[in-house]
Amino acid sequence: MSPLSREYKFPFHLIVHPFKGFWDLKYEHSGKTSLIVSFAILFLMVVTNILQSQYSGFVVNLSDPGDMNSIMEILYVVIPVLFWCVANWSLTTLMDGEGRFVEIFVSTCYALTPIVIINLPWVLLSNYISLQEASFYHFSGSFATIWFVFLLFVGNMTVHQFTPVKTVWTILLTVVTMAFMAFLCLLFFSLIQQIVSFVYTISQEISLRS
Amino acid sequence: MSKSLQRVKAYILVALCGLLGVSVGGNAVYADESGGSYNYSARGNPVASPSAYQATTLLTGEKLGAGAFKEPADLHVTADKHIYVMDSGNNRIVVLDEQFKLVRTIDSFNRDGQADTFNNPQGLFVTDNGQVYVADTGNQRIVHLDPDGKLVQIVDSPESESLPDDFQFQPVRLVVDKAQRIYTMATGVFDGFMEFSADGTFTSFIGANKVQFSPAERFWKMLSTKAQKSQMVMFIPTEFTNLDIDDQGFIYATNGQGYDDVKKLNAHGNDILRREGYFDPGGDVWISSYVGSPRLTDIDVTDSDIYSVLDAKRGRILTYNGDGYLMYVFGELGNQLGEFSTPVAFDRIGDDFLVLDKALGEITVFETTEYGRALNEAVRSYYKGDEEQANRLYEKTTQMNANLDFAYSGIGKAKLRQVDYAEAMDYFKRSLDQKNYSKAFLLYRKQVLRDHFTEIAAGLIALVACLYLWRRYRKAKGGKKVVAA
Repeated sequence: MSPLSREYKFPFHLIVHPFKGFWDLKYEHSGKTSLIVSFAILFLMVVTNILQSQYSGFVVNLSDPGDMNSIMEILYVVIPVLFWCVANWSLTTLMDGEGRFVEIFVSTCYALTPIVIINLPWVLLSNYISLQEASFYHFSGSFATIWFVFLLFVGNMTVHQFTPVKTVWTILLTVVTMAFMAFLCLLFFSLIQQIVSFVYTISQEISLRS
Repeated sequence: MSKSLQRVKAYILVALCGLLGVSVGGNAVYADESGGSYNYSARGNPVASPSAYQATTLLTGEKLGAGAFKEPADLHVTADKHIYVMDSGNNRIVVLDEQFKLVRTIDSFNRDGQADTFNNPQGLFVTDNGQVYVADTGNQRIVHLDPDGKLVQIVDSPESESLPDDFQFQPVRLVVDKAQRIYTMATGVFDGFMEFSADGTFTSFIGANKVQFSPAERFWKMLSTKAQKSQMVMFIPTEFTNLDIDDQGFIYATNGQGYDDVKKLNAHGNDILRREGYFDPGGDVWISSYVGSPRLTDIDVTDSDIYSVLDAKRGRILTYNGDGYLMYVFGELGNQLGEFSTPVAFDRIGDDFLVLDKALGEITVFETTEYGRALNEAVRSYYKGDEEQANRLYEKTTQMNANLDFAYSGIGKAKLRQVDYAEAMDYFKRSLDQKNYSKAFLLYRKQVLRDHFTEIAAGLIALVACLYLWRRYRKAKGGKKVVAA
């Protein structure tokens, strides 16, 4: 069996054996193939998100098909993951974390696996359930999320070689940092917008007066 | 071969035409002579709608031969379609008949042998047997006259332990139920409506609005001392702005607190209004911050739980059905016919509307359009339980207004009864009715499973057999390839 196909099976092994799995991911696996698998998982996550909003059954999905925008759906997944990685990396470099940026990214993407493998089949299945049976749908959705959070926690702990308590603190601080980054981005964009409109107004005034 | 191909082509053509028809039908909005109105879609977006009502006549005091109205404040239409206009500025009541002909005016009554008059009366109510009740605000009393205008009783200076000693009784609006109990809205009363028994004694308050304050306010209040608390703004419930009573004795009330602005009160004063619609009743959903939130000043309830409210800020009358779905909207501020300056009260005369303008002293008459009639009748038939008729009328209204989303739910329910589950699901989906969709879906699923039981069972058996054979085959090959976990 080729190493790559083994690599593709590894996420399934990792989500049920997180402590050993993340350890192996950090120290035993080649960085490049893990990165490829990470991108694959992220891509599948995006696909899941788009399919969910477009094809989930009516009893669990009230989103307006007219408002669906695949580009935005991609951003809804990619931006939080990127923000998380950047915020976590920036924090942990100051907090003696051992993880490199790539490792953080890979562990985060691997942690997304349960969300994909639970939610993707439900897109099809949700078309064949009634409102009463929808509680199973919501239950498994919450279950996937909790599983993801747990994996994120273990992954972060292993990557940085932190104690559990320190990991919890880092995760909370990372969330705060993400909010801070979002604020900075908004500030940046609105300032750029102001500058652009300022330059535009000046140029218009010059061209109209001359 | 070519023949079958041609047939396929023909089918495709038909299907394409059908698609075209669907897309055209989906956007079609009847343009009728009075210009368009609007409604809100199931997702809360404003969508075009044909007008359900159009203004036909403008009545003024001069035209009626009663002299100009001066700041009229209230209007009431009786069961036999007599119109009572409370002409507050002139301290009189003007009575008109169905054809808008002047019947009489009431400006004084005989009290103990002396003529007595009103002083800036604000509200009136006329019972089905012609008893006239006047909220004589300036004189701080309620005057009860019989159909001939003779004084029956005067209700004033209510006494109760729950009223302060310096209580000023200023009734402004009132209704009377079948047992002659009077419910009145009085200025400066925050405890709800004042209820008087038939003999005019004050019995209780009913239906007070609840005080709501934010967690932050609660927190500050907790921290402050008694002296500080006494300096703070008091939290008092909002006053009601108007009321009406339906055939069953439920009071419909409007207030201006910004949420639950429409209430239906039962005998205990509990709010039992159904809010099953796409949004809660209480004026427009999309509001510009420039104009601000709606200010409801009048409410009118007719048969079949249909009720309308007046948003004085925009001059709009919005009508809801008993479930709380918005049926239609009409009226506007402006200077043309069908537009108002200061709408203050309205009432239904049959299915037509009379809207009273305070500053202009005018009454605008609105009559139903074809669309309005169909919709009114559809809601009535549905309320009566005549689903066949309701289905027919709802289909008629959706032909005139494809954007009327709640009507599809009505059609879906009829389809459900006709055992046409797949179609019912389609209709429920259009009206975003998950509950009924799920109901239809369960029946549909059962039906499909029952109809195709042999195929499904055969398929399952075949699948199991295939799996079994596959494993036998793998075993026979040596089983080396099977990956152990």
